[in-house]
Amino acid sequence: MNSEATRATVSSSFEVRRHLNPGIAALAVFLALVCTIAMSSGAVPLSVFDVMTGSATELETTIFNEIRSPRVLLAGFVGAALALAGAVLQGLFRNPLADPGLIGVSSGGALGAIAMIVLGAALNLPDWLSPYALPLAAIAGALAVTLFLYSFASYYGQFNIVTVLLVGIAINALATVGIGAFQYLSDDAQLRTLVFWMMGSFGRANWTTVLPSVVLISTGILILLRQAKNLDRMQLGEKEAFHLGVDVRLAKRTIILVSAAIVGAGVALSGIVAFVGLVVPHLIRLMLGAQHTVVLAGSALLGAALMILADLIARMIVAPAELPVSLVTSAIGAPFFLWLITRSKLR
Amino acid sequence: MQTFLKALVAAAVFFSSTAYADDTCFEAKDASRIAIAGGSITEVIYFLGEESRIIATDRTSNFPEEATKFPSVGYVRSLSAEGILSLKPSLVLGEDDMGPEEIVTQLAATSVDIRKLSEAHTTQGVLTKIRCIGSILGVESKAEARISEQLESDLNELQVIAATQRSDKPRVALLLMFAEGSPIIAGHDTSGDGVLAMAGAANAFAAVEGWKPVSLEAMVKANPDHLIITARGFGAAGGLDGLKENPALRLTKAVTENHIHVIDGMALLGFGPRTLSTAVSISESLSVPE
Repeated sequence: MNSEATRATVSSSFEVRRHLNPGIAALAVFLALVCTIAMSSGAVPLSVFDVMTGSATELETTIFNEIRSPRVLLAGFVGAALALAGAVLQGLFRNPLADPGLIGVSSGGALGAIAMIVLGAALNLPDWLSPYALPLAAIAGALAVTLFLYSFASYYGQFNIVTVLLVGIAINALATVGIGAFQYLSDDAQLRTLVFWMMGSFGRANWTTVLPSVVLISTGILILLRQAKNLDRMQLGEKEAFHLGVDVRLAKRTIILVSAAIVGAGVALSGIVAFVGLVVPHLIRLMLGAQHTVVLAGSALLGAALMILADLIARMIVAPAELPVSLVTSAIGAPFFLWLITRSKLR
Repeated sequence: MQTFLKALVAAAVFFSSTAYADDTCFEAKDASRIAIAGGSITEVIYFLGEESRIIATDRTSNFPEEATKFPSVGYVRSLSAEGILSLKPSLVLGEDDMGPEEIVTQLAATSVDIRKLSEAHTTQGVLTKIRCIGSILGVESKAEARISEQLESDLNELQVIAATQRSDKPRVALLLMFAEGSPIIAGHDTSGDGVLAMAGAANAFAAVEGWKPVSLEAMVKANPDHLIITARGFGAAGGLDGLKENPALRLTKAVTENHIHVIDGMALLGFGPRTLSTAVSISESLSVPE
């Protein structure tokens, strides 16, 4: 956390803001706008008004209800989950580079999901469970990685930026080994499925799997938003936070478990989508300041809006084909990441 | 692990055959606007002379050349439901690896007629595919006529090859691509293994399952007499000079004796009509006296 952010946190951490922050309100309006655009644009031109009034053709109605709506909803919730997880992890680790992707939570989720894709058939799961097996496996993978990272990095006492990142790199490498092993086990068709799955897409969204994830992610979002004050106090140091009345152990556990759960739920349905978790919280801090009440809510809203936009680009730009959404987020996110680094060097 | 994998394959075969194969090859209500996912299907439709019905192809549809001018629905395994629907096809034809599965489900939920053709890596598999597409398009008799006009000599040759039981079958390695320098070869249960069998060759890597990268030592140990390589793999290797310098390949009999056959990937492995003549020509070039 840079010094400016810490100062902002210290000066505002005890203010209780009951009124709606104008920045947050603006973001909510932006999200609503993006949703409307995304729902009314796509490879098939159709009018939302026609669908609502029932004057659209059967095909248009099916496309709107069964293909486009779950897709936009999923993109929004995965974007919110990744950005919010990035924001709370950055706050918890007091490290501006923490991100579900960089520290290996996403690849842990991917490893769980891929294990389920390749080995799932042998488990003979009951019919009612099988649509949820993949999300559950991804959540388990994400959780395992987060717990490992947390116990390993805190072994040295304070969370050291370098330690967290190095452990994250090691975990990413380990997860890559696991993914590679499953790729080796898979047949030709499975292999090509895995490759595209890893690049991320919201095209596979359907209501059966999207709805439970939406319930899970929104519950997770509500729980994490309540940790804003605790995160503000923890910026001063864990001991200081404890003396300010924060149940530090409970807060840490809640944040880690819940953020792993929502990232896992997102990764399971969309594959790996890079950079959203890292970049969005930074954008919010630049625009609205570093107070966690604002950072967390703002990240969730902006993450949702940007992910829906990225997905819109992915499905429009090469229509009737589509790009993997992670190509879009990385193409925008990576230059921004470089800019963040040069900017901090210039100071 | 072997039994487990076999169980997996058996389960996959069971589900794919019950779900698709039996109820695929009947005439479509409207086959006037066809979107295609899979290069061999495009080849078959051109073979049948019905290309005027095509409205879109995928990235694997690179033959004939003019098939690439259609709007592209992307790669056969990463299709977009809305993208395909935007072209207003009356019929979607896909190879059995068309995907992702969820997209196929989404398409099937609309009123669009979508057919996933089963695949068998044999001569019969190619004929079945041509006949099936002929039935779907309502041109069965034309399909039979084209088969006997254009494929008869190839089919006869292949029958002779299949009937000849050579004890000294040439041992051939079929190389698809390179992954970080390691050649990726066709093991058993691959399209490559199928085409080698059709050509009367022995797969030097029959013990391997699927497409796998092989090490230097495994390649030297297998020591194939001939090397068949896709045009794409040949380019990636840096041509003939590249192959002769490749550490895994330069010591094999195939490379030292210059028994290298470069073949277009889709003609070789697509299992459209061209694969039959490719198998015949492979068989001929393998039996050229030393």
